[in-house]
Amino acid sequence: MAHTDVHPQTGNEIDLDVVREMLSHIRPSDHQEAQELILSALQEINEHFGWVSLEAAEVVAKHLGTTSNRIFGLLTFYADFRTEPRGNHFMLLCHGMSCYVMGSQNLIDELGVRYGIADGGTTSDGELTVQVVNGCLGVCDHAPLVKLDNDYHGNLTVEGLNDAIRRAIAGGKVQLRH
Amino acid sequence: MTIDPGYTKLTLRAEYERFEASAKQSWDDLYQVTTVTVGVGSSSIAKGALDVLAAARELADGTAVVVRQTGVDGADWLEVKVTVRRPGEPGVVYANVEVADLPGLFNGSSKKAFAVDGDEAFDGLRPLGEHPFFRYQQRIVLRDTGVIDPESIEEAIARGAYSAYLKCLFDLSQEEIIAEVTAANLRGRGGAGFPAGIKWESGRKAKVTPKFIVCNSHEGEPNVYKDRRIHEGDPHRILEGLLIAAVAVGAERAYNYVGGEYPLAIKRFRKAVQDAERLGLIGKNILGSGKDVAFRVRTGGGAYICGEGSALMYSVMGVRGQPRTKPPRSVEEGVWKRPTVANNTETVSNVRDIVNNGGAWFASIGTEKSKGTKLMTIQGPVKTLGLVEVPMGISLRTLVEEIWGGMRDGYTFKGIQTGGISAGPLKDEHLDLPVDFDSLTEVGGMLGSGGFVIFDETVSAIDFARYLTAFNRVESCSKCVPCARGNPALVEILDRIRLGRGSAADIPLMQRTSKHIIELSLCGLGQVAPAPLLGMIQMYPEEFHDAITNGTGTTRWHERFVPALAMTGD
Repeated sequence: MAHTDVHPQTGNEIDLDVVREMLSHIRPSDHQEAQELILSALQEINEHFGWVSLEAAEVVAKHLGTTSNRIFGLLTFYADFRTEPRGNHFMLLCHGMSCYVMGSQNLIDELGVRYGIADGGTTSDGELTVQVVNGCLGVCDHAPLVKLDNDYHGNLTVEGLNDAIRRAIAGGKVQLRH
Repeated sequence: MTIDPGYTKLTLRAEYERFEASAKQSWDDLYQVTTVTVGVGSSSIAKGALDVLAAARELADGTAVVVRQTGVDGADWLEVKVTVRRPGEPGVVYANVEVADLPGLFNGSSKKAFAVDGDEAFDGLRPLGEHPFFRYQQRIVLRDTGVIDPESIEEAIARGAYSAYLKCLFDLSQEEIIAEVTAANLRGRGGAGFPAGIKWESGRKAKVTPKFIVCNSHEGEPNVYKDRRIHEGDPHRILEGLLIAAVAVGAERAYNYVGGEYPLAIKRFRKAVQDAERLGLIGKNILGSGKDVAFRVRTGGGAYICGEGSALMYSVMGVRGQPRTKPPRSVEEGVWKRPTVANNTETVSNVRDIVNNGGAWFASIGTEKSKGTKLMTIQGPVKTLGLVEVPMGISLRTLVEEIWGGMRDGYTFKGIQTGGISAGPLKDEHLDLPVDFDSLTEVGGMLGSGGFVIFDETVSAIDFARYLTAFNRVESCSKCVPCARGNPALVEILDRIRLGRGSAADIPLMQRTSKHIIELSLCGLGQVAPAPLLGMIQMYPEEFHDAITNGTGTTRWHERFVPALAMTGD
């Protein structure tokens, strides 16, 4: 996979009591089911906090009877998971074929040139994190499209992208809806 | 519409049939009131459908008007789509609705009325079914998508959900169910086209127990969005197909593996499973039939490779999704080393109608070797973009020029990428070919999962080939060397050409490298990874030739940009 240089990161942004509370609803009946539930447990944490820290991984490992090594093997294999915190604003940039044909590569280039970030990266001021979606967000008639925090921006030009980012940052941090 | 939110578990067939009758009655009662129906799916939510739904509920508050949600029916270009139906009148379909339009919809003065949801013209509006987007469609899998509320098991049952499951529980033997699926010649809709009847039969014959059913709803390709629309629009259809498969094979448990990146699909499907469990359609001694089926929903984590059968099963078991060598096939050793039958979402979604109407009925639709209908999605600059369900064998030209409305103004057709990232592009001269499992393959295309992508003259074949190869490079699971190292090598050569530094030897070098990847990779994904590149070279040789001999390349990005591109990965 693309993520070769990933190391476990520690971090106190993730409240482990909240993690334990989330996990308390996951009650596998046997060891097999416990293993089947690792990915969805991680997904829940990743969705809630935006990433999974080493400590959170250890809590999951303990709850589901496995090792944090295995958890990190999963976190670094599956593209949805992040092992470092997000910036204040989070952008999903659709790079499905519709978006590619309609110019999403220009948007990715612009993020590199203007903001110095590539897939998974966060700007140096901590404002914006971008995740490039290699699948498809399924809003193909509005391609190219990004989801910035909770809002979709379609038929995007480079100017439109910059404008959306500017407005999001000016509006301050928002709570993500799931 | 809710009959009894706290319904108790039904334990007998007769109890279920009473429930079914009351669900049907409630459905009919909807015709006695004015209904405002908003299509809410991931594509329409992006255009503000949730705001429209909330505003409509507010407007209807204190009146007799019933506001409902359904899934989206596939016509993305009409969204947000709202249907207003008054007692004794057909529904009026409004297109591209915004919150500000709602008062006009409620009092009938809105100018956004697009068509009428019925067979005859009404109030100066033409029937929706006469529009080319709908005219060629034959909706089996999508029959209730955009019609029922996907979060209501009552509405699903009122429209016939679980009617086939009931027959399979009580009236049909395992052999009889499989015989119908075999007679239908239902072939796998995930890309490979393997007959489902044969899979089920080898699953049934497997001696090891317990056995499992796995539904592949991963859909990680960048070119298709069909399966998530079924999840969002009619989850009970998928669930019923899987429960029938479990009964037919004698499986103890069925799984649905859904891509983690589709939260709405997961949410609605989980709700469907919960409701079915509460009603007693899943569990022990179902409706007194003596049969047991358990069900589990599992989610992926955004790794394309998990669409491969064995990788998917590893992912279900909570490890890295990396394919393994076969044999043993998954029907011998699958999930937890037990016999496992894997089917695609769209495949199992056909099962209800096959059981109800018979395999012969299904086999009467489509072409000689490709039976039934196929969900097709389009991407790129076309006018009426969306998901459609058409009989197998329809021509590519009808799809592109009629159903999807042809190219948008200002765009010139260059080619159509078929089979996603697993095959090459086709050109205008191929558009008269029938769309089925075999015809496109003969000219280097592929039906695949039914996701087509049109690209216009501004898209360079070399750049597009690089995009497609880079996808395979990022998504390679890195288990076997030909794919893990070969795809980066291809991207590197392509980048050389794009920067105007290619040499004449690069084309044979790419072809040779591709041959290694195809012949030596372990899994089906590696074996087709270079296909788009080879197809691009075959269809647009002059572009590659010009870029190399003139040294012009295709891109100037390096002049303004030094660090690696996003998909340059490692």
